[in-house]
Amino acid sequence: MAAWRPYLLGLLGVAALTFPFLWLQLAPNFENNTVGVVWAFDHGLDFFRDLSTVFVVGFLIWTGIRLNRRFAWDRALARSSAWKKVGLFWENYWGWIAVVILFLVLALSIHPNGSEALRSAGFPWISTSTLGLLTFAGLYMLLAVGLNITVGMTGLLVLGYASFYAFGAYIFALGQQYFFFPWYLAGPVAFLLGGCAGYLLGLPCLRLRGDYLAIVTLGFAEAFRELMRNLHVTGGDKGIVLKDSSIFQGFAGLSNQQVCYAVIAMSLVAAVFFIQRIYHSPVGRAWIAIRENEVAAAAMGIPVVQMKLLAFSLSAAVAAVAGVIYGAKDGFVSPAMCEFQQSIMILAMVILGGLGNSYGALLGAALLYLVPEYLKALPSMIQNNAMLTGIVPPFVSDSFQHLSDYRWLLFGAVMVLMMLYRPQGLLGSSRRKTEMLNR
Amino acid sequence: MNSSSTLAEILLDGISRGAVYALVALGYTMVYGVLGMINFAHGEIFMIGMFACVYAIGAFSVMWGDHVLLNLGLGIIVAMIFSAGYGYANERIAYRRLRKAHVLAPLTSAIGISTFLQYFIFLNVSKEKVQFPRYYSDLLTTNHIVLGSIEISYLRLAILGLTILIMGGLFYLINHTRLGIALRATAQDQLMASLVGIPVDKIIAFTFVLGSALAAVAGVMVAMYTNVLVFDAGYRVGLKAFTAAILGGIGNVPGAVLGAMILGLTEALTTLQFGSEWNDVSTFAVLMLVLLLRPRGLLGERVADKV
Repeated sequence: MAAWRPYLLGLLGVAALTFPFLWLQLAPNFENNTVGVVWAFDHGLDFFRDLSTVFVVGFLIWTGIRLNRRFAWDRALARSSAWKKVGLFWENYWGWIAVVILFLVLALSIHPNGSEALRSAGFPWISTSTLGLLTFAGLYMLLAVGLNITVGMTGLLVLGYASFYAFGAYIFALGQQYFFFPWYLAGPVAFLLGGCAGYLLGLPCLRLRGDYLAIVTLGFAEAFRELMRNLHVTGGDKGIVLKDSSIFQGFAGLSNQQVCYAVIAMSLVAAVFFIQRIYHSPVGRAWIAIRENEVAAAAMGIPVVQMKLLAFSLSAAVAAVAGVIYGAKDGFVSPAMCEFQQSIMILAMVILGGLGNSYGALLGAALLYLVPEYLKALPSMIQNNAMLTGIVPPFVSDSFQHLSDYRWLLFGAVMVLMMLYRPQGLLGSSRRKTEMLNR
Repeated sequence: MNSSSTLAEILLDGISRGAVYALVALGYTMVYGVLGMINFAHGEIFMIGMFACVYAIGAFSVMWGDHVLLNLGLGIIVAMIFSAGYGYANERIAYRRLRKAHVLAPLTSAIGISTFLQYFIFLNVSKEKVQFPRYYSDLLTTNHIVLGSIEISYLRLAILGLTILIMGGLFYLINHTRLGIALRATAQDQLMASLVGIPVDKIIAFTFVLGSALAAVAGVMVAMYTNVLVFDAGYRVGLKAFTAAILGGIGNVPGAVLGAMILGLTEALTTLQFGSEWNDVSTFAVLMLVLLLRPRGLLGERVADKV
């Protein structure tokens, strides 16, 4: 009983602290400008009902982890011959697996009716909107891979990453108003200019303590957004609508959406390839050394400031390219691109997937973008499928429906829980875990 | 502020803005001074204070009618208690286990807490702006003291007075009490402090609780001053306050107040000269300038990196 006391007290404390916000509602009285409160039990109950799926899934995961700790299934699995076979298979054929996945993905993008073909071939979650979803997921993956250079590989926290994304988009949008500046020219130019912007911003604050960078980039993001909202050239809140001649256009039988998808896929592959190569080069080793202990790295003769600047400007450059792609995709650029939430979402992706691992960033971006989107579509999928409607009770599908509203709440919770229980991220190494837990 | 505003009025506006930032910045700087970590969720604690006060006023006016001073005073106390509770929870959940971790870990978990709290309020209280009950703030906002040609509202006086009082109190607490000695010892070396019998966990929790209670006071003042409560108010004010803390030299109590005053004056001048929409840009410019010229902040001391 005694072991439960702190948990019970904690639960009571949380219940007391959240009590007014959950179970009461403000009732403003506009006649004499006062305020009252009314009970709102159904409101609080709704909150718990909508999150019930999350509680159940969370409980299952927690139980799984506890049981695994007790019975050490993961070790047994790693020793078993079947798993060794799987590992061998993966080692020998991972190239082919990648080719098959790439083929499916390309079929989706290049074949005019690709999505329909795949749908009838037995992939019910693919629909006409899948291409758009995957395009956006690819864009977020590009951003996550870029942010991973600073946050994961070098250990510098950047909180205003979306401002570089918006910076690239605005370079493109402003350039194409005055010059011949289609997306394929804008991409490299934005890469260079984004890198320069990162360098200039990093110059004053990378010499300082690590956490200053977080706040300075955050301040930069705010200032940049305000600047874009207030300048006449950038069209204020309405943003800039791009000329048709400079954005993605269909050619050789592809629609412009498919061109966009192919461009994102190619730049993503290129980005991951080059970033992984750099990570395994002496530069990457220097980044790891800085991440582990800056003072020691400096003592070993690593040019700490230059290496940090390199990492920072490289990741800014990747974001700027992503911004150009976004502009060329939607034909529209606005200050909403560098909202704080954008930066936080990209950061959450990197943290969830695995700090310092490009593939982890890909996984994190895919999970955090696609899962909420699919959850939103799930209720209608259940309703349209006669077999599922029989199985799934209505309150579960209701809960799915509202779950996407709770996306940000869950992002926050995910960030806290990951830091507490798995600081290296889903695909992180145990080495990274030791680093994160010991200063 | 109209076009005929005098220099004195601009100064007054700047100083009262600065005083609000200072109240929040003190919380940042205290936690940083003791733990060497940024308490990113501090802005949200401030926002919680705002909402808790309005809820408390609502509950009291339902219970025994609209007595302005009684309800407002009790409301502020309830807001302080709630904010302190959230601050304590924040420390327990996001900081205590990560105290020895890489800088990235507590910062990230605090950002998580901050996002969580923002959207908790967004989903459960209001997605829109909420009005502070004018009936309660009118007493302070419509009455003025006339000094020569300028009018100072009671609210501004209260904000200024509170800031000076709290800054003085903190200065006394840190430098002249046993608790302050324990605080400074914890800041210097946690292991050593625990060896000489200082309850380090309690001291750190106390820092969070005190900073959060101060943030609640600031929250209520801002809510009365601007008349609006919104779920992301804490983020905006928190960012400004943190900038102020860096400006003055983070970890330094008078520095935080000085930085906040400079920031408030910059904003007042920018508002007059270019319009309030340029506030963020000018704030950022000042921050970059100070970081370039004096990286440790105006009153900060050079701290050697701990290895």
